[in-house]
Amino acid sequence: MDSSLRKVQDVWEQDTAIVEGVDISGPWNRMFGQRVIWDYTPELIDEIASLPGAESFAWCYQCGKCVPVCPVDVVGDYGPRKLYRKAQTGISLLDSPDLWLCTTCMNCLRVCPKQVDMVQIMPAAREQALLSGRPLPAELQEALENTARYGNPLGQPPRKREAWVKDAGVPVPILHQIQRPVEWLWWVECYPSYHPRGIDASIALARIFHALGLDFGILGREEKCAGDSQRLAGERGLFEMLAEENIRTLSKYEFHHIVVTDPHALNAFRKQYPKYGGQYDVWHYTTLLARELPRLRPLLTRQLPYRLTFHDPCYLGRHNGEYDAPRQLIEALPGVEFTEMPRCRQNSYCCGGGGGGMWLDSFAAGRQRRRLSEERVLEAVATGADTLVICCPYEVSRFEDAVKSTGHEGRLRVRDIAELLAEAMGLIGEEPAKA
Amino acid sequence: MLQNGHPVLIIGGGPGGLEAARTVASLGQPALLVERRNRLGGTPDAEHYAKLTHGFRDAEEAIGELVAAVTSDPLVEVLTGTEVVACDGEAGAFHVTLRRGQETHERVASTIIVATGFQHFDPGRETQMYNYYSFPDVVTLGDMEAMLKTHQVVRPSNGQPPERVAFIQCVGSRDRQIGNEFCSKVCCGIASKQAIEIKQQLPHARVFIFYIDMRMYGYWENELYWPAQEQYKVNYVKGIVSEILPKGDKLLIRGEDTTMGRPMEVTVDLVVLSVGMEPSSGTRKVAKLLGLAQNKYGYIEAGGPSGLDPVATSRPGVFVVGAAARPADLDDTFATAGLAAARAVATARRAAVSV
Repeated sequence: MDSSLRKVQDVWEQDTAIVEGVDISGPWNRMFGQRVIWDYTPELIDEIASLPGAESFAWCYQCGKCVPVCPVDVVGDYGPRKLYRKAQTGISLLDSPDLWLCTTCMNCLRVCPKQVDMVQIMPAAREQALLSGRPLPAELQEALENTARYGNPLGQPPRKREAWVKDAGVPVPILHQIQRPVEWLWWVECYPSYHPRGIDASIALARIFHALGLDFGILGREEKCAGDSQRLAGERGLFEMLAEENIRTLSKYEFHHIVVTDPHALNAFRKQYPKYGGQYDVWHYTTLLARELPRLRPLLTRQLPYRLTFHDPCYLGRHNGEYDAPRQLIEALPGVEFTEMPRCRQNSYCCGGGGGGMWLDSFAAGRQRRRLSEERVLEAVATGADTLVICCPYEVSRFEDAVKSTGHEGRLRVRDIAELLAEAMGLIGEEPAKA
Repeated sequence: MLQNGHPVLIIGGGPGGLEAARTVASLGQPALLVERRNRLGGTPDAEHYAKLTHGFRDAEEAIGELVAAVTSDPLVEVLTGTEVVACDGEAGAFHVTLRRGQETHERVASTIIVATGFQHFDPGRETQMYNYYSFPDVVTLGDMEAMLKTHQVVRPSNGQPPERVAFIQCVGSRDRQIGNEFCSKVCCGIASKQAIEIKQQLPHARVFIFYIDMRMYGYWENELYWPAQEQYKVNYVKGIVSEILPKGDKLLIRGEDTTMGRPMEVTVDLVVLSVGMEPSSGTRKVAKLLGLAQNKYGYIEAGGPSGLDPVATSRPGVFVVGAAARPADLDDTFATAGLAAARAVATARRAAVSV
């Protein structure tokens, strides 16, 4: 047992307390919270299960299969089945911090014999919390307000969304400028447009597309966040607004397919946008590049002396079933060594960014012994890899922070598959393109 | 006494079919027992069961006695290596076609008893996550029976006796994703029985049973569960295992101890998956052939119009026994076999009046 561990929840201390002349201030008068369970009640289960989409909350039979595969439970005292149990004993999910800890990674649903679906329960419950006027964590509030105001959670000006293009070094056609149909509409998304390390990957990908002679274009300043994580964080109204605007924008242009950088956008386009009339043929860029491998492979001429491991994004793998394309691309890289992490593919460990987690790091930090991204980085380091390969734009900033906070700076690099491919093609150097 | 000289056709030569044949004959009616395999004895024989839950009787000996009773009865005709391939007619005179190898022949049966039983859930199928087909030291209850029978309880990976054995309950049962929503009823008892046998054969082994609920009906509580815990020191842990990971040459099982509300990671040498029951391929095939209603899991629908007749099928004159209709233990199987035999003989004799 780690002696520095101290459970602070449900514990009270009086700063100053003198009893019969004896000073028992501070820890000496430590009081504990209620331990006896007084009652069992179905009302707080119904409170959640009665919400549309959240019916399965009431189905849990407490087997506990979800808990060991829950990435949040690994680092804290949280587990999907515990939510039901707490509700039964009088703790409302709507008032509990638990409401904001789920990353909707879907690993619980994968193993659940009763199909209790947190991916639907969480957004429904969070929406209910919002509608009933409960406060939401400030950082999440800010990201949602930014999205509503600027069309991106970072709070960046919309017109700057296409600014990275001038550094691309290859033509990146922007549809409102070129006024012609394209085969591939590239949905760049927010982090790849604004975040410095996201831009690095975007530049790499643009150069790969160009080298392959792909007929593509982007929306640039007209693109707004696809909104899936905002939806999962409980802001369905905001998501609907974004979806409708994006569908309206897309209807102005002619294209055959959409290629997305962000698996969360992939999820939105595949599963949500059709409900609002947006039907598209949507590909993740790893799927597209894996299909192009016969043409790509001869261009991969540089040896990369790296030891790689790969992180499956929840929203590419478990949510959308793509496990092979990134691995095919990694295997095509000349000179690399590749080792899987123990938790990979269907059982991949969540980076903590999904379902609104991207904007809840401080909130979660006080309730977890380490971040999910840190847990994952430690797993990557344990494989002996020097490079953690990613293909979701949430991950680069999360994992790079985690590399620093776990003291592995200089020993583990985080790189997008696009960056490694571009390097092997001689399109970028070993350092990030813009560094 | 009314007579109908046509035999009662019994399909399936396992415990249920054998008991039905014996009872039909004891009521003075000829029985025709048809078994697809070349041997009688059913799953306990085919899967090399070690001991039965009933008083830990040696399975081979107990089933052997039943087989001997049936084969020595002059009123029972046994056809092994034989399948039913067609059936028409109705109660009183069913015309059935039997096939043995390439040859077929017709027989007339007064009534039919279906005792085609179950098969074990295949843990390689569907959403399984226990790596049964990747890790040699992950086995099933059936595999363990065969090892117990030969007193060779070892880790398949290295042939060495295991020091730590873990049973995982409810594999392939009580699961909406897999589609088997039912409780398979026997696995808790079988796992406890096997845990005791393992401790008898390997007294120094440590045995764990990870469970959601222990469902120890009736006397299994005091005959299996309590002795396993009290006398044989089996560790029962409430909390099911979600995954098995390799850890050196051992297996790390990860789950939640739900009563403690804490994650658990336990290293073991051998994992036994307590796989549940599913209708056998024979049950599915015969149900279709005879036009019997099946429930959504493929079991033959039983209950009759009253809902209270556990051997009635949707077709008059056709009765169902044991695990062809539901997850069933041997008590269920013998009880329904006797009832089906009584109903089949009574129906045959009533039909004789009108024929």
